[in-house]
Amino acid sequence: MTAGPPTEARVWRSQIWTIAKSEVRRTLFSRRSFAVYLLVAMPLALMLLRAIFMPDTLRVNAPDATTEFAEVFHFFLLRFVVFFANAMIFVRLFRGEILEKSLHYTLLAPIRRDVLVLGKYLGGVLSAVLLLVPATTLTYLLVYLPHGRAGLSLMSSAAGVSSLLAYLVIVVLACFAYGALFMLAGLYFKNPMVPALIFLGWETLTPFLPALLKSLSFVHYLVSFAPVPVSLGAFALLARPVAWWVALLALLASSAILVFLASRAARRLEVTYSAE
Amino acid sequence: MRSDRIVFTDVSKFYGEVLGVNKVNLEVRPGLTGLVGPNGSGKSTLMHLMTGLLRPSRGKISVLGIAPDRPEELFRIIGYCTQYDSFPNGATGIGFLRYALSLHGYSKAEIDERAWAAIERVGLTDAARRRIAGYSKGMRQRIKLAHAHCHDPQVLVLDEPLNGLDPMGRAEMIDLFTELAREGRHVIVSSHILHEVDLISDGVIMIHGGAIVAEGEIREVRGEITSHPIQVLIRCDKPHVVASEVFRLEHVVEARILEDEGLLVRTRDADAFFTEVNRIVLAADVVVETVAPADESVHAVYDYLIGEGVGGGSA
Repeated sequence: MTAGPPTEARVWRSQIWTIAKSEVRRTLFSRRSFAVYLLVAMPLALMLLRAIFMPDTLRVNAPDATTEFAEVFHFFLLRFVVFFANAMIFVRLFRGEILEKSLHYTLLAPIRRDVLVLGKYLGGVLSAVLLLVPATTLTYLLVYLPHGRAGLSLMSSAAGVSSLLAYLVIVVLACFAYGALFMLAGLYFKNPMVPALIFLGWETLTPFLPALLKSLSFVHYLVSFAPVPVSLGAFALLARPVAWWVALLALLASSAILVFLASRAARRLEVTYSAE
Repeated sequence: MRSDRIVFTDVSKFYGEVLGVNKVNLEVRPGLTGLVGPNGSGKSTLMHLMTGLLRPSRGKISVLGIAPDRPEELFRIIGYCTQYDSFPNGATGIGFLRYALSLHGYSKAEIDERAWAAIERVGLTDAARRRIAGYSKGMRQRIKLAHAHCHDPQVLVLDEPLNGLDPMGRAEMIDLFTELAREGRHVIVSSHILHEVDLISDGVIMIHGGAIVAEGEIREVRGEITSHPIQVLIRCDKPHVVASEVFRLEHVVEARILEDEGLLVRTRDADAFFTEVNRIVLAADVVVETVAPADESVHAVYDYLIGEGVGGGSA
């Protein structure tokens, strides 16, 4: 029926893309996506309410918006919305199919398990980025909006745009890193939300830990891309900032290691729904 | 190395402390093979092991020379219809098959062609665009069968494939299995309904408590059970005459006249009996309607081997 047999690499690429597209569809356009949409809508709703009810005395201080967004981003968007959105998207990549008892259909396809893991991971990253990048951008807009023209011109200035881009880089890198971690958790744990909460605790404690322990968290590297530093309180232990390229390498390397571990776990994966 | 056999070498599977299958040694040849055993005997475990959905705790498996831990090669030659009655959320019949076929790397046109051909073969053309969640049990069974064979595999593994089908559906599916086996494929069908397997199988694998208790053609397996004399039913016009003659034979242990059904003879040597019965019939000028083994069914064999009256014999 076809002209000739496709090469192995072409088949892998096509399989990775097919699985990724299917995961994006399942994540963004199924009933299970409701909770993720709700989570992502939270900062938007809060910033909208803030914009509506902001007193006039505060509206005149447009430069404050830069600090305000930095705080919203560090304490709410990154540590709560991005973290839990990734947890919800990535733990379900395998665990969701196990609970739905449909994982065997994927495992009955002529796909190497590591190719399957890559396809699912790519699908998860695309879904998370498609949700979180617009949400971050809109939140940014809503923080500046109440400051009127001054706020908008600050936002659209070169400094404002590069700030936004830096925040978006953090979000994308967070999707890669947290995504890899949560996908692995979904393969190992029946209830991956428990280790996710433990990890959240660790990430929250990071500012108060010595430099060596800080380096064992993702948030330590992620915030090194932040354009505006925020105060983490009187008890936070200051550490030498990480160079952007070190942070980038650390995040990408740890994501790659976690995806590799997930591939190994997937190779040992068995279908025993009754045990779940 | 490619082979035409499915081979299990000393395969055991434990779920923690619980035994799934124990020290299984098997060679399955092309054709229609029935895998028979009561619920919980290890049929599904054996099929899962064959398809790599489970990994053996011990031993080696080879499916036409391919190890089940190489899914990228294995699922080009094998299709598996599992017992699980679950599907991806929101999938339509045709969408379900298209997705499965797209993972094989076929072109778009070929995906469509194969998906529609498989749908047509299981008689679901009209319902193809409907969501599987709205299908009846029988339709879900059919779409699973379409999924298992849409990529034209050399080996089809079917776990209780006739469950949920109406009599007409069963007959159609049995025809399909027979046709696929006739094309030279391996078709392995599991069932706890012995009568079903008896009707369609060339050979049987009998499993009980995770162990293979018999394997081969039903007649061969029956012949090896020397503890139970073989039963032969003779329908003729003079059953009394034949009964008195055959009862003199040393290997005949019982000759019973059944009202309106003929003469039932139990013998320890079937070959000798069939030779002798020809002589008796000719000598006594008996008009014979049939002479046929009465217990070469899977059910009888299973009953002799396990002795639990398993299966009930009919659907």
